[in-house]
Amino acid sequence: MKLRLPKKALLSVAFTLVIAVIVLVIYPRQIIDFNTQVKPILNKKCIACHGGVKQQGGFSVLFREEALQKTESGKYAIVPGKPGQSEMIRRITEKDPEERMPYKHEPLSTKEIAILRNWIKQGAPWGKHWAYSPVEEQVIPVEKNDWIKNDIDRFVYRKLKEEKLQPSVLAGKAILLRRLSLDITGLPADSGIATTFLQDDSEMAYEKLTDALLASPAYGEKWTSLWMDLARYSDTKGYESDQPRKIWKYRDWLIKAFNKDKPYNDFLIEQIAGDLMPGADDDKYIATAFHRNSLNNDEGGTENEEFRTAAVMDRVNTTWTALMGTTFNCVQCHSHPYDPFKHEEYYKFMAYFNNTRDEDLPAEYPLLRHYAKDDSSKFLQVKDWLQTTANSATANWYISFLKTLQPAVNSHLCDNYTKGVLYQNNHASLDIGGSCRLPAITTTGKASMLLRYLNNKGNATLSIYIDSLKGQLLAKVPLVDTKSKWKVDMINLPPIAGIHDLWFRFETTVEKDKLPLLFDWFALAPAFPGRAGKQYTAARNNFIELVMAEPATTPVMVENTDEQKRVTYIFERGSWLSKGDEVKPDVPHIMNPLPVNAPANRLGLALWLTDKKNPLTARTMVNRLWEQLFGTGLAETLEDLGTQGVPPVHKELLDYLSWKFMHQYNWSIKKLLKEIVMSATYRQSSATTNELVQKDPSNILLARMTRIRLTGEQMRDQALAVSHLLSKKMYGESVMPYQPERIWASPYNPFQWKLSKGEDQYRRAVYTYWKRTAPYPSMINFDGGSREVCVARRIRTNTPLQALNSLNDSAYLVPARQFAINMRKADPSVKKQIETGYQKMFYQSIAPAKLKILVDLYEQAMAQYKKDKTAASAMMGDKNKPALPEDAAMAVVANAMMNLDEWVNKN
Amino acid sequence: MTQQELHNWRLQHETQNKYLHYHTRRHFIKQSAMGLGALALGSMLGCGTNKTTTPATDNFFDPVNPLAPRPPMFPGKAKSVIYIHMAGAPSQLELFSYKPELAKLDGQDCPPSLLEGKKFAFIRGVPKMLGPQAAFRQHGQSGLWLSDNLPHLSTVVDDIALLQAVTTDQFNHAPAQLLMHSGSARQGRPSLGSWVTYGLGTENKNLPGFVVLTSGGNNPDTGKSVWGSGFLPSVYQGVQCRGEGDPVLFIKDPDGMSRDIRKASIDAINKINEEQYKEYNDPEILSRIAQYEMAYKMQISVPEVMNINDEPAYIHEMYGTQPGEARFANNVLLARKLVERGVRFVQLFDWGWDAHGDSPENAVDVGLINKCRAVDKPITALLLDLKQRGLLDETLVIWGSEFGRTPMMENREGKTMPFKGRDHHGAAFSMWMAGGGIKGGTTYGETDEIGYNITNGKTEAFDIQATILHQLGFDHEKFTYESQGRPFRLTDVGGKVIHDILS
Repeated sequence: MKLRLPKKALLSVAFTLVIAVIVLVIYPRQIIDFNTQVKPILNKKCIACHGGVKQQGGFSVLFREEALQKTESGKYAIVPGKPGQSEMIRRITEKDPEERMPYKHEPLSTKEIAILRNWIKQGAPWGKHWAYSPVEEQVIPVEKNDWIKNDIDRFVYRKLKEEKLQPSVLAGKAILLRRLSLDITGLPADSGIATTFLQDDSEMAYEKLTDALLASPAYGEKWTSLWMDLARYSDTKGYESDQPRKIWKYRDWLIKAFNKDKPYNDFLIEQIAGDLMPGADDDKYIATAFHRNSLNNDEGGTENEEFRTAAVMDRVNTTWTALMGTTFNCVQCHSHPYDPFKHEEYYKFMAYFNNTRDEDLPAEYPLLRHYAKDDSSKFLQVKDWLQTTANSATANWYISFLKTLQPAVNSHLCDNYTKGVLYQNNHASLDIGGSCRLPAITTTGKASMLLRYLNNKGNATLSIYIDSLKGQLLAKVPLVDTKSKWKVDMINLPPIAGIHDLWFRFETTVEKDKLPLLFDWFALAPAFPGRAGKQYTAARNNFIELVMAEPATTPVMVENTDEQKRVTYIFERGSWLSKGDEVKPDVPHIMNPLPVNAPANRLGLALWLTDKKNPLTARTMVNRLWEQLFGTGLAETLEDLGTQGVPPVHKELLDYLSWKFMHQYNWSIKKLLKEIVMSATYRQSSATTNELVQKDPSNILLARMTRIRLTGEQMRDQALAVSHLLSKKMYGESVMPYQPERIWASPYNPFQWKLSKGEDQYRRAVYTYWKRTAPYPSMINFDGGSREVCVARRIRTNTPLQALNSLNDSAYLVPARQFAINMRKADPSVKKQIETGYQKMFYQSIAPAKLKILVDLYEQAMAQYKKDKTAASAMMGDKNKPALPEDAAMAVVANAMMNLDEWVNKN
Repeated sequence: MTQQELHNWRLQHETQNKYLHYHTRRHFIKQSAMGLGALALGSMLGCGTNKTTTPATDNFFDPVNPLAPRPPMFPGKAKSVIYIHMAGAPSQLELFSYKPELAKLDGQDCPPSLLEGKKFAFIRGVPKMLGPQAAFRQHGQSGLWLSDNLPHLSTVVDDIALLQAVTTDQFNHAPAQLLMHSGSARQGRPSLGSWVTYGLGTENKNLPGFVVLTSGGNNPDTGKSVWGSGFLPSVYQGVQCRGEGDPVLFIKDPDGMSRDIRKASIDAINKINEEQYKEYNDPEILSRIAQYEMAYKMQISVPEVMNINDEPAYIHEMYGTQPGEARFANNVLLARKLVERGVRFVQLFDWGWDAHGDSPENAVDVGLINKCRAVDKPITALLLDLKQRGLLDETLVIWGSEFGRTPMMENREGKTMPFKGRDHHGAAFSMWMAGGGIKGGTTYGETDEIGYNITNGKTEAFDIQATILHQLGFDHEKFTYESQGRPFRLTDVGGKVIHDILS
């Protein structure tokens, strides 16, 4: 019997067969790569419901061990080797929309299903995302071409060849000079360096220029600006009243570190844990101000512990975002939605940072004290006394106490008040007859108590009891009327071992209506040494005077003593009020293990961070440096090298440079920068064609150089430099150059923007005072952030407000006027004057068409200013001071020249 | 044009612009000078799923014309927003929350049940209860209760929807203001106005899309962060327009430079930039040319819109404005002028409502009354004026603050205060919304008889934000921006639209 099949059925069978063949041809059973083929599908289509945040149906594809578990339905979603038995495959191929996954979304494509099926068939192996695998030495592509200058170009050229593109020719000398100088030093090259380079026709000219710029002190200032964004550097504390913070010594530390080319690993270790390094000097302490740039909330009534915790979490997030290109913040509330970090790993990591002495007090303790003049010689005398009379433990205790006033216990930890309150969440305060408790103080080995207080009442005494107000009286001491000033006393205590509560009672017979007694801090000290010595009293007095002195200070990191150690808990859903299990310091399991012998503190963490096995540290920095030079990182998302970041087209190049940075250059930033700028890739012309713009708008393939708009800092510095106004002064307190009125208006804050004097008005932008709630306008207009949190990268925009800023802001007009005057001195002819100016700005002569446009502008302005002398004077800055119409007309021209696209960009 | 027509119109132009974009950007710039020009190539829902194919333009953001008008997700009732924030937190108990029972408790010790486990900014120990320091009356057809401190607003109660059970977990000004405006009590997230201008662009390209006006002598407590753009491109941050000095920073030409010289200089800059473009073919150069042209136009349009001198006398009378002074009434009138000209989002902050009782200015029976006098008339005038111009239907007006105040009298550090004041109170306070598709004369939410806790209709910052976005045509759960590896939304993981107050 002949089997007769309906035509339709036959057709459909044939069709299915054809499709199957096509699928097999297009997607043969090649080895499936988890990272590049499977993970993107899981991230895009599955992980929102089956990942770190939600685990619908008891299924998650974040970790292999979770994915292979039995799901809530009792079935296995993935059975390695057996796609037919894997519920996941059944559900993604299901016809019934109620059953089919992804639920209520587009079904997976045939190709995606084939990939997942084959992957399970091959055993469903998991892979490590590239950025979490250690950096390996790269094989340099064998490419030959005259264009190639170094190995970077071999990587770039190979990719261009694959894409059937040609690299661009090298840019002209003038363009390169300006580009390189702005990139390396943030300033246009001065005439000395410029002339040397332009007149040197040798092969070595460009390299010599590079070396000269890298050796310039301006180099450190330029790269410090970048680091200040990452460190969220600010001269104020943030939040409501946004009070000043003196932390500029950290900025100076950065400039010096960059200029010395401090190896990047040391650079990081000192910033994370300088205070814990053996023999830490002042410089090492100042480095730790990196993480004291977190916000401090001084607003009345704020919970100190809440904002201390917020600052600690900010340090964790900044460490990951800035130094390891990872979005760790997500893990605060739940396991990472896409990347292999578990919820508890956030808190284990936080445990490293959770034991510093800062407690969100307005005083910002701990502060490194910079004794000056008499105090500094007094300090040396006391130090000498301590070192000659005491054992080293006691001497060190006293010396480090003088440096940081730590370890102290801040008085806000007092409780059990009677006739007393916690004053503004800051100071313990007692009224007449009032008492309070300072809980759980270790008294073993202590002989005296240092006490900082403010008392406005005469005839007053402070009694100190142990364990209760009915306990043993340890001391009853008279308190003098300090007349609204803070005073420090050193009270002798009888020797008592153990951990005890201390109770304070304040008594006085007079002066009811005055301020209550305020406590600032307490410190239990060993006996002041050398009691038998002749100079004992003098030394002890000197010591107390130094403690009372109010020298300049810098907020720094100081670790809690063993007695003060905090326990770290997991915060359920990220809320500091819902504490879960206790955790110990540790690093995420996906990362490199802790180095052998790494201590379980910040120093251990810093050693792990800078271990050559850490997969992220070098890559993040290389990527960041690349972004500074090319406008886009090799991996575009500087802040996220994880699976949701943009995968780098030039991953091998990133790894090649990262390997070399660590192993060959020993973390030298200057050497790395030099290699990059020496490449032909960097030296290419930025002129391009419409075709190339269409094909590669973001210039990922690097067939040309990217044109990049200058940063706010560079805009300012360039204008000041070209007009010869720029001050070369380095370091010191932040300055206040011209700023329009009424930019600052924080409530409860009397501080005002006060125009700096003399050359301080013309310092580089890196020295401009930064106020978080009201940053300098032209920084903000040109895409600066407010630096409340780490700014991993500035997103460039192009807005009319930027145009108004560089056209009309006095910060730009003053240099334009000066530049006009300088141009006019060059030659009697207007044409020549403009030519000279243009030459000065761009190191090359002006095209005739452009010159004509500017000369016409000059003449039009000149015609008006000849008629209107007052306008000419006003244009030159003071309408009451006679000015030449020629100067005013040239100022109009200079103002226009300083707004040219080629001036606000690097070509 | 109805909302639906406007929506269609935008979609059409969007398609057209895509076409233009694929041709040359040169054309694009020319076309966008006509006020079109969104490059909405990404999806509003885009959570960064196509990174491998479009690396540089992952989010819905076109650097060439970032403020071009864009359609919302669905046709919204409101086109623009005026958000009036009383920084410092006015007392709901002297304005909107009628609590006769509280009067009976005046002067008595606060019962311990209200204090257990509670933390206050300044109250310590056992404070006294403080009865309402104002008389209340019912008004309008809706019979809403309002205090005598608001005689003007009482005439328009049938236009407002009163939210009586707003709550926040932040009881300090700076974090509470941030939560209200950015959905997070910590700094670093985009503000509401930034989200809205990012989502919708703006209708008048010669004015900023998001304008901020402040009064009361100080910026709000969180400073500029409260109108910052967070992780959104900085172009979406609020532009502060000022009552004194330049209305927008650097809007004025230098002294001694005439308009025609400025025109000539911008022409010169642009002509040279065109030469530059011929050489480099970088589309950013064309964008810069457009920005300089726009800057020139803004120099005319901003001072013009910021000048209230030419408003008719009856308008000045109605608002209580005094040209030339930095005062709240002027800002309210400016807000109307700005939305009338197509500004998307106007944010007002008036500082000085922090009535702790430490001075007469900060007393609920003295300073608060004066503050009310300064705002009651202009706010009422705004609603009436928008209405008479037919703008109220498409303008969403929000009045509120960061939190409310305690029914207890403040006893700072346990002491009696020299004047009658109340401490910060996040658990329950009042806000209102009007216009833009809001049902007037409604009340949503209730508190207990002393206004201490919410009894029903709990409303969080996220709910208000969700409702504002909804009225503008956005689903707050789908309106996201990819940052730091994940999509962020204004309402974080919360927020429900308050449908009860929608018309």
